[in-house]
Amino acid sequence: MQGKAGYFVGKLIELLVTLLLVSLLVFAAFSIIPGDTARVMLGPDASQAQVDLLRAELGLDRPLVIRYFSWLFGLFTFNPGTSYAYNMSVGELIAQRLPVTIGMSAVAMIMVILISYPLAVISARKPGRAGDQICSVIGHILFAIPPYVASLLLILLASSVFSLMTAGTYVKPSDDFAGYIGCLLLPSFAIALPKIAMSFKFLRSSIIEQRTADYVRTSKSHGLSDLKILVRHVLPNSNVSSITIISIILSDILGGSLIVEQVFNLPGLGRLLLSAISRRDFPLLSGIVFYLAFITVILYFISDIAASLADPRIRLK
Amino acid sequence: MQQIKRTKPKTYRSPDASIFYSVGIVLLAFVVLTFIVSLFATPYSPDATDAASKLLAPCPAHPFGTDNFGRDVLSRVMSASKYTIFISVAGVAISLILGTVSGIPAGYFGGLADRGIMLLGNSIMCFPGILLALVAVAVFGASVTNVIWALGLVFAPTFARVCRVGTMEIKELDYITHARVMGVKPLRIMTLHIFPNLVPQLLPATVIGLANMTLFESGMSYLGLGVQPPDASFGKMLSDAQAYIRVAPWLIVFPAMMLVFYILGLYFISEGLRVTLSKGGKR
Repeated sequence: MQGKAGYFVGKLIELLVTLLLVSLLVFAAFSIIPGDTARVMLGPDASQAQVDLLRAELGLDRPLVIRYFSWLFGLFTFNPGTSYAYNMSVGELIAQRLPVTIGMSAVAMIMVILISYPLAVISARKPGRAGDQICSVIGHILFAIPPYVASLLLILLASSVFSLMTAGTYVKPSDDFAGYIGCLLLPSFAIALPKIAMSFKFLRSSIIEQRTADYVRTSKSHGLSDLKILVRHVLPNSNVSSITIISIILSDILGGSLIVEQVFNLPGLGRLLLSAISRRDFPLLSGIVFYLAFITVILYFISDIAASLADPRIRLK
Repeated sequence: MQQIKRTKPKTYRSPDASIFYSVGIVLLAFVVLTFIVSLFATPYSPDATDAASKLLAPCPAHPFGTDNFGRDVLSRVMSASKYTIFISVAGVAISLILGTVSGIPAGYFGGLADRGIMLLGNSIMCFPGILLALVAVAVFGASVTNVIWALGLVFAPTFARVCRVGTMEIKELDYITHARVMGVKPLRIMTLHIFPNLVPQLLPATVIGLANMTLFESGMSYLGLGVQPPDASFGKMLSDAQAYIRVAPWLIVFPAMMLVFYILGLYFISEGLRVTLSKGGKR
C-alpha cells in the first residue's frame, strides 16, 4: 500500500512541476516578443503619456516576475487576463468555444474505440489471413493521411457522391443536442481516421503477442472458450499498453481538431487560436495555449495512474 | 487431441521487410523525382497566371488541370514538393542534432542534468499537435526558416528520448566499462562508442520524424502560418482549393496525392526498417 501511495504522490509532484514548467515556457515565449504591446495597440501617433497609461492599465509596467505570478494565479482561478481584441475575459472566451473542441475530440475518441477494437480483435484472431492483410494495408494508408486532407476528401465525397453539405453549419448543444452531435460527426471522423489506424495497429500486435503467451495455452487446456480467454485474459493484458496509446491519441486528436475546425468552419478553440494569432492578441493566445497543454498534462497523468492500477508492475519501475 | 493441435499458438511472422521497402521506395521516389525535375524545369512557371485557362480540368496541355488564377497545377505541385522535402529534412536535422546532443549525455551521466533535460522535453511534448510550433511562428513571424526552427525544437524531445534510453542500455555493456577503465574520456566514449550503436534506433525514428514533420508543416501551411504565398506548398494549395471543392476537385486531389505519397512512402520505409532491425531479437 505504501508503494501505491508513494507512486501517486510522486506522479502528482511530477504533474505540478510539469504544469509549472509549461506555464513558464508559455510565459517566456510571450515575454520575448519584440516590440511594445501598448505602442502596437495605440498606433504610432499616440503620445508617450497615453502609451504609459495603457501600459499601467495592462499591467505591463510591473516587473516580469510579478507579472508571471499574477498570470499564474489568474490561470488557476480561470481568469488569466483580458483579451485585447475581444475586450472580454480570456476565461469566458475559452469557455464559450470549449464545447466544440471537447465535443469533437470526445466523438472522435468514441469512434476510434468503437471501430479499432472490434477490427483489431477480428484481425488478430487469424493474423496473416486476407482480411487481416487488407485491414493492415488500409490502416497504413489511413495513417498517412493528415486529418485536414481527410476532411477535404470527406467533404468532396459527401458533397459529390451523397450530395450532402454539412460543412459550415454549427448547431449549439443547448439548442439541439442531436444536431450538435450531427454537425460534429464528419469532422470527428476525419480526425479519428488516422488514429483508428494507429490504435488498430497497436492493439492488434499487442493481442497477437498476448495470444502466444503461456497462460493462454494453459487456459485453453483448462477448457475455457476462445471468447472467454479473449475477454477475461487477453484484452485486460492488452489494455495496459492501450491506455498509454489512448492518452497519446487523445492529445493528438485535440491537436488535430485545431486544424480540422478550420476546414469545417466550426467555432472552436482552433479558430479562436488563429484569430488570436492574426490579431496578435497575446493574453488570449497564451491562455488558450496553456489550457490546451493543461488538458494534455492531466490526460497523461490520468493515463499513468490508470496504467499503474491496471498493471501494478509499472509502479516498481 | 485434435483441438489442442489446432489451437497451438502459431508464431506470427510479420510480412517481409522487402515488401515495405519496395512500396515505400516507389512512393518516395515518385515524390523525390518530381522534386529533382522541378529543380531544372517545370512545364509552366508555377506562378504564371493565365486568365484564358482558369479552372481547366486535367487535359493534355495541363495534366493536373489549372487553378482559379489559371496557374498550372502540375507545375505548382512540382515546386511545392521542394518546400515539403526541404523543411522536413532541415527540421529533422535540427531535432536530430538537438536530440543527440542532449539525450546521450543525459543517459550517460544521469543525475540532476538528466532529470532537468527530460522534464524540459516532457513539458515540450505536453503541447498537443502543432500548438507549440504555431505559437513560435505567431511570435517570431511566419517564414520558412522559422517553421524549420519551430518544428526542429518541437521534435527534438522525441529524439532525445530515443538517445537517452539507448545510451542507458549501452553504457551498461562490458566494452563501455572496459573503455572507461582504460581511461577513455566520456566525450570520446559518447561519440565513438555509444553514438554508432544508437544508429539502428535513430534510423527508424528519423524516417518517422520526416513523415510527422511533413504532417505538421503541411498543417501549418494550410492554416496560412507555414510557407507564405506566392510560394506554393501542398498545405496552402489545399486551403486555396477548398473554395472550389465542387467545381474543381482536381485542385484537392493532386496536391493531396503527392503529400500522402511522400508521407506513406516514409512510413513504409520506417516499417521495413523496424522489421529488419527487430530481426536481431528485440521485440
